[in-house]
Amino acid sequence: MRRIFRHYGQFRGLSEQEVNARLREQADEIKRQALARVEVLDLSRTTWPEVPHADIVGAITFAARRGLHRYADRAAADLRAELAARHDLPAGRVAVGNGATQLLEAAIGALLEPGDELITPWPSYPLYPVAARRARGVAVPVRADGPAAILEALTPATRVVCLCNPNDPTGTLLGVPALRELLDALPERVVVLVDEALRDFAAAEDPEATRPLLDDHPRLLLFRTFSKAWGLAGLRCGYVLGGAGAEELLERLGPELGIDDLAQAGCLEALRHHAGLPARRRARLAPVRERLAAGLAARGLHVTGTDANVLWVPAPDGAGAALAAALERQSILVAAGDALGEPGRVRITVPVVAADADRLLRALDLAAGDGAADL
Amino acid sequence: MRTDPSDTGGLFVGRRPGTAPVRYDEPPQPGSRRRRRFDALLAHGVLALMVTVNLLFWGPIPAASLWVASQVEYHSGSVTFGITVGFGVLLAVLFGALALLKRLDGFWILVRRAAGIDQRQGVIGRVFAVTAAIGALAFTAWFLLIAGPGPSLAPEAP
Repeated sequence: MRRIFRHYGQFRGLSEQEVNARLREQADEIKRQALARVEVLDLSRTTWPEVPHADIVGAITFAARRGLHRYADRAAADLRAELAARHDLPAGRVAVGNGATQLLEAAIGALLEPGDELITPWPSYPLYPVAARRARGVAVPVRADGPAAILEALTPATRVVCLCNPNDPTGTLLGVPALRELLDALPERVVVLVDEALRDFAAAEDPEATRPLLDDHPRLLLFRTFSKAWGLAGLRCGYVLGGAGAEELLERLGPELGIDDLAQAGCLEALRHHAGLPARRRARLAPVRERLAAGLAARGLHVTGTDANVLWVPAPDGAGAALAAALERQSILVAAGDALGEPGRVRITVPVVAADADRLLRALDLAAGDGAADL
Repeated sequence: MRTDPSDTGGLFVGRRPGTAPVRYDEPPQPGSRRRRRFDALLAHGVLALMVTVNLLFWGPIPAASLWVASQVEYHSGSVTFGITVGFGVLLAVLFGALALLKRLDGFWILVRRAAGIDQRQGVIGRVFAVTAAIGALAFTAWFLLIAGPGPSLAPEAP
């Protein structure tokens, strides 16, 4: 009998009150889970963390709808003209490429013969030695970033000096006087490639301060990017500025068929209508950087003078990977130093919001608290 | 209240009221085809039972109550007491039968669903209406032709 009623009982629908009570429970559960979830704070990348301005996205969308069936302007004439005007150079001394990295690799490939040497301060951007090896050259890392150390490492085989300025990951800036001293002292056969990807974050000097060096030193190339302070990393667009007579070399650096239409449209819009964006972001970042550096110093983690959006932080007991892992457990991602050339440190990208800097400091305190076990 | 989109010029463009899917605790497992056929027959049986119980309201239950009242009056010798007990029995049986009908109506919905029919509402209202009509006709016929003025209107020859 009970079995019979159980068969019919399964067809009993839920009342409205029961349905609503269950929906309310589900909504409460979702809310509880959302409140319990801690957003990951990614401080391991040097790109700007906010989405691009709607105007830039709109310009890219317009370009996409206008017609992707056509080839893009391989010479990127409009973009180069806009960049030339911004940096007060002839358009022939500007080349654009798929990010500063592609241009740098092309320059190293074009300049190095097998066996030639490339000098680069170390730790620095890991691509330089890789690019030298790909060109069958020899990378010569220098454990200092002043002109003296670089000049000391010079040999007759030296062909290229590659500087990341401000340096990634240390954040140190080689000022214009020191750069001029280096350029003056180098023999004529040596070409200096200055990667200024993080230059827009430097507060100690005007970002355009290195530009006049091009007039006096034709064997200098300045590499810039839209990926960092411009916040357009997804477009993969960078450019290089050359001195007088560098036109022929610059022509060889860009991609054979140019950069894509969307990148050109987005970067053009940024240059034409948001030209002040890097300066505004620099001004916004500087106080957070100071606050964070002061907070780190108060915890015994002294950061040497940095002028970029990164801090090269010594880990307690010299265990960078352990510190990165301890922060990751608190949903904060930083770059462990072992992959960047110094295992005893971590590279922390300066957050753009002060509250995130405070969260990082709290996380460091917690990591130090149970550090005995982990570090 | 007019809530049908065709009645309101499309003002309510969502689902028509009363057509939401029935939500179950767990999706019910329908029986075999044979079982569903049996369930359809059972639903008819339950409906017939409901009609029968409902018809009792219109004659047998009041008559039984009157019989109880007469018995009480005979044994106690009090007319008032007899009427009071008769009314009490009448009300108790009526409400009990109503409760039974309500349960049968709920069971009928479940059996219809088990038979594979998307049954959402009960049938108790329609059963009441039909049996009321039948009961009223039967009472009128009885009253006029059998127990009421009928015999005086058409008296039998002495």
